Amino acid sequence: MALTSSIRKILVETIGESGVLVSPLELAAYSFDGTTDCRGLPDVVVFPTTAGHISRIMKLANENNIPVTVRGAGTNVSGGSIPTSGGIVLCTTRMNRIIDLDADNFTVTAEAGVVLNDLNQELLRHKLFFPPDPQSFLAATIGGCVSENAGGPYAVKYGVFKHYLLGMTIVLSSGSIVALGGRTVKNVTGYDLPQLICGSEGTLAVVAEVTLRLLTLPSEKKTVLAVFNEVTTAGDAVHKILAEGVLPAKIELMDNWVIRQIEEITPLGLPTKAEAILLFELDGMDEAVKKETRAVINLCSLAGALEVRAARDSREAENFWTARRAGFSAIFGKAPTVLAEDVTVPPSRIPDLIGRIKKLANDYSLTIVILGHAGDGNLHPSILTDKDDSGHYNRAEEAIHKIFAAALEMGGAISGEHGIGLEKKKFLKQAMSPEEIGLMKDIKKVFDPKGILNPGKIWE
Amino acid sequence: MADSGLIEKTSKCMKCGFCMSSCPVYRVDHMETHVARGRNMLINWAEKNEIASDDSFRESIYYCLLCNRCEATCPARVASANITLDARANLVKQNGLPWFQRIIYRGIIRHRSLMARGLGLASWLPGVSVKEGKPFRHLADFVSIFAGGLAIPRISKPFLSRRIPPRTYPPKGTKVRGEIAVFPGCAFEFFFAGAGKDMVLSLAEAGFEVVYPGGLTCCGLAVHSAGDFRTARLMAKENMEVLSRFDYIVTGCATCGSALKNYGDWFSGDDHWQTKARDFSRRVKDFSEFLFSQGFSPSDTKTSPVTVTYHDPCHLRWHQGINDSPRKILNAAPGINYIEMEGADKCCGLGGSFGITHREVSLAIQRDKIESIERTKAEVVVTSCPGCMIQLMDGMSRHRVSCEVMHLSQLIRGQRGRLRMRR
Repeated sequence: MALTSSIRKILVETIGESGVLVSPLELAAYSFDGTTDCRGLPDVVVFPTTAGHISRIMKLANENNIPVTVRGAGTNVSGGSIPTSGGIVLCTTRMNRIIDLDADNFTVTAEAGVVLNDLNQELLRHKLFFPPDPQSFLAATIGGCVSENAGGPYAVKYGVFKHYLLGMTIVLSSGSIVALGGRTVKNVTGYDLPQLICGSEGTLAVVAEVTLRLLTLPSEKKTVLAVFNEVTTAGDAVHKILAEGVLPAKIELMDNWVIRQIEEITPLGLPTKAEAILLFELDGMDEAVKKETRAVINLCSLAGALEVRAARDSREAENFWTARRAGFSAIFGKAPTVLAEDVTVPPSRIPDLIGRIKKLANDYSLTIVILGHAGDGNLHPSILTDKDDSGHYNRAEEAIHKIFAAALEMGGAISGEHGIGLEKKKFLKQAMSPEEIGLMKDIKKVFDPKGILNPGKIWE
Repeated sequence: MADSGLIEKTSKCMKCGFCMSSCPVYRVDHMETHVARGRNMLINWAEKNEIASDDSFRESIYYCLLCNRCEATCPARVASANITLDARANLVKQNGLPWFQRIIYRGIIRHRSLMARGLGLASWLPGVSVKEGKPFRHLADFVSIFAGGLAIPRISKPFLSRRIPPRTYPPKGTKVRGEIAVFPGCAFEFFFAGAGKDMVLSLAEAGFEVVYPGGLTCCGLAVHSAGDFRTARLMAKENMEVLSRFDYIVTGCATCGSALKNYGDWFSGDDHWQTKARDFSRRVKDFSEFLFSQGFSPSDTKTSPVTVTYHDPCHLRWHQGINDSPRKILNAAPGINYIEMEGADKCCGLGGSFGITHREVSLAIQRDKIESIERTKAEVVVTSCPGCMIQLMDGMSRHRVSCEVMHLSQLIRGQRGRLRMRR
């Protein structure tokens, strides 16, 4: 749908000329996000700088039935921020003030457009710590992270965004500005509405501000690298460590393919023959970290690790973690199209899931690379394919279906941290009962009766 | 559009958006059209004719400092600055240059003797020359208006080539270590001749016979960055011709250095000249890189104790990968209390003509930089690029910060206070 000039005029009057983009080129620049192959053109892109702006934009959109897709940095990898129905892209990147950093009470209130990395830099100055670490942290905004309920390697010990969410200010589709929740850890006043908004992918309301719980920065950190000749042995080691009551801050897994690629790009001395590498981070008080480091090393050896050792110093530790981060880009450089998946299983089923993925790779003659967060059961099997080669691409899609089916069968989920968005909505029925989907649709109607907020996402 | 490999190059971008964290321009206006990721997509679609190469495309392509910081943050190492340059070249090929740029690039800059004559004449105008007090500065003020109020340094009188002989010998008693050529570049020749002389003398004092060859022209970077690759190649050829016989070519200008070291890329598609240029580039050294590699340490500095911080020029840090050698030289210098500023490797915001054409963004980036410098309480900020020097000096006076801006060579030779500038 094209916007009438009168609506454009009102938008410009509301937030000023520099906050409204309408040229075809500018609109094209907002037609994509971090997702491999999804696009949709908006009719206008707006940059509100206050909740009041958002309220007026929503009122206008609601009265005129204009779809609104909220966008932070657009680093989403499930297509959630793509305006497939056109209309307004409401971009929060200019709402980037940290409103209140309350170091005494370990909370921070920030506008939705604050970049996670910028928040972390500020917290570091106060020796404070906000653990959820989606790997898009360099660019991703707080609002986007809350809307996607983002998480990362720290999830095994520290959980994900929802575990830190205390309160928020939202703008409803009607334009009403509503404060939800509060600023205390314990709060059972009625329904926990912030948790409902968290992970709703911009379909229920526009997040304008969030209040998050903080921790103090751990005084000590150690990194341990363990090498295995079987991916399943690595899985056993993870299980043994958790069962022993040791809780590492991160437990990351990389398979042989990833190890070799990393060594090719930036040689770090990783053993290229190893079938799997586990990378642990232990953090906390000095003495505890020492003990936990010893325990992890012993337990990995017991489980049958070929080699296991602590990083010599912080520099080597940083190299290992850089390698882990590089794993992802190593994959992307190697094929025209990469289907990076995001399934989760109960942690004890990780070896089973990996076994199943390897068999699928074999059956369908595909390269499926595995890395992931072994501690919380969240794996990212990535299929190297080419969307222009339809035969290959179809096989890749079939394999993905089977991976989802396997994860569900093992009691897992079809998305651990990327969200459903556009990419996975066709699988929703596999993962949820009609009743559960029905409840979600009913909730959606309460918040957004006209269905203008991020239409076409989550379900078909 | 003609096949320029741009579709393939931009397809490597996995759209992760990490470039947003390091892009100085994005950090100011937070727009997808002004950051590597968005620009890569737009260039990709324009190449496939899915979007028009219209004025707003042009605007996006030129809305970049070419600082190259994004490439260092990019997990897939996409050469976004080079991609942007190639896209500019395509636009120039299609539409040509605006008439005033054509005259400046193809006429004046290309023929440096013309530029020298023009500037030489101008330096005789009242107030343009180096004088104390508050003189009128007709030409500089005129240029300054064009440059959106950017304080332009005075024209040196005389130029560097008149201040030093064609060949400068090491002081008597110094062990002679060989012969090198300097490439001072236009900025040191015409505007910062004092700093240029310090560079030559410090190289001589380090034991080198320093030749400043006649017949050099502009390094060509400004012309190349604007997308006029044809003129840029002509300039590169002239410089390579003049400098062909030297084992080392040392430059104190980070911008010139990055141009000279990149001449090979400028001749892609022309194997003969590309091989020649690559061989030439291997012999080009930045001033600090050269001194450091020669084991030089400024033990004979005459500088009184001073607190110093260092600003990384993008053309040195992100285009040549040099950040250690200037710091090591500063740290080794007696009497210097070195303090690292926060975000030393962030752009000063000038980006050549970007600072003039996109003044507001440039000033916002400049403000951050000046605040970083101010927090160190340094008395001197040292850098290795005359462009950065201009922008930092402008920022100091704009924000009334009393921190002196110096080229590394000036600090080494203890010439504090020689270089002053007024708006």
